[in-house]
Amino acid sequence: MRVLLAEDEKALSRAVATVLEVKGGYDVDAVYDGEAAVESARQHAYDVCVFDIMMPKMDGITALEILRREGNTTPVLMLTAKAELDDRVRGLDAGADDYLPKPFQMAELLARLRSLTRRAGTYTPKSLQAGNVTLDVEQQELRSETSIRLAKKEARLMEFLMANPDKDLTVDDILGHVWADEEADETVVWVYISYLKNKLEAIAADMTVRGDKEGPFRLVPVSL
Amino acid sequence: MSSIYGEYEPRLTYIMGLLTTELESYDRLCFEETGEHIYEHMSARIKSDESMREKCRRKGLPENAHSALCVLQDAIGVRVVCAFRDDIYGILDHIRNLSFVDIVEEIDYIRHAKANGYRSYHLVLAAKGRFEDPEGNNPGKFFIEVQLRTIAMDSWASLEHKMKYKRDIRNQELIEVELKRCADELAACDVSMQTIRNLIRESSPS
Repeated sequence: MRVLLAEDEKALSRAVATVLEVKGGYDVDAVYDGEAAVESARQHAYDVCVFDIMMPKMDGITALEILRREGNTTPVLMLTAKAELDDRVRGLDAGADDYLPKPFQMAELLARLRSLTRRAGTYTPKSLQAGNVTLDVEQQELRSETSIRLAKKEARLMEFLMANPDKDLTVDDILGHVWADEEADETVVWVYISYLKNKLEAIAADMTVRGDKEGPFRLVPVSL
Repeated sequence: MSSIYGEYEPRLTYIMGLLTTELESYDRLCFEETGEHIYEHMSARIKSDESMREKCRRKGLPENAHSALCVLQDAIGVRVVCAFRDDIYGILDHIRNLSFVDIVEEIDYIRHAKANGYRSYHLVLAAKGRFEDPEGNNPGKFFIEVQLRTIAMDSWASLEHKMKYKRDIRNQELIEVELKRCADELAACDVSMQTIRNLIRESSPS
């Protein structure tokens, strides 16, 4: 995995980079100011970034704001001055995923980086199963006796249903998860549930979605 | 060289016409009563002399009318292309209830698509005609192969068919994978559009 380390204190940077490489197994790119951090993040795909706040040319928070505005979603851990609450709040609001006040223990830095990269990796399963139905999350393919493709939101909704097999999901639950940051009419949920019900049937699945127009909804076995 | 069908050719045209005329009439009736057609278009053909002879050779059968009409079952082919998936099952039901044909075989390649992604509903019908067939029966038995598809399934099948005739395509395997993906995406659209039609019907008064 590749880390971008933006820290202007060269000695500290060298020490951190070494530990990240040796103990963490990361490939580390070290830069020493905010402008260089933005340039590097634009040019390469990193798995995680570590930004100091106080840096010459451009501080870490500004650099992060620019990257987030451009659509960069790489997880970022901010190194903050211990006494500054303001730093931490501003950093998190600017788009940082976590922070670590200086001075810090390397063990903690390593653990926090593991936590950040874990979410991107293992928490998103590659495929889900329910009854005789398999959802290939990456391909957005639903498979049973035959296969069919799902549109992005259909796949997200199916994933949500399959990940919560023992819960009744309300229209609000679904809107909040599938149409998270959008303005969406409540009826769209019923339309998409209908799509999924019919697609499950089209592939001769032994599961269906239970629930009428107002919800709540749950993935259940087809009753014969 | 005369046609492999010999004297039977006009009879095949007649039998084919029985089914196509019936479906056309039924479509007209449905349109008068509901304002909706039951299919978008229908095509019918008698397999060419050349194709039928080639098939007989391929199957190791003697090239004669008996092979073509009593052993093989696709001399007469009718393809019905519908706008929506449910229309297919509506026509299927109608054919099932016709008195002048019996369903001899049916395969649902829609519910169980072929490995390459092909989807269609296949029927082999046996029709009776008041004349002799190559086995000497009177009324004679004549087969009709029927394919029921949606527009999407039909366009996919045409594209895939073109693939079969070009032997020297590079990246054959990749193209096959991509064609299958398209077939699954088209099937998804078919289901979605059917769903939308159902939702519209459910929410309209009467």
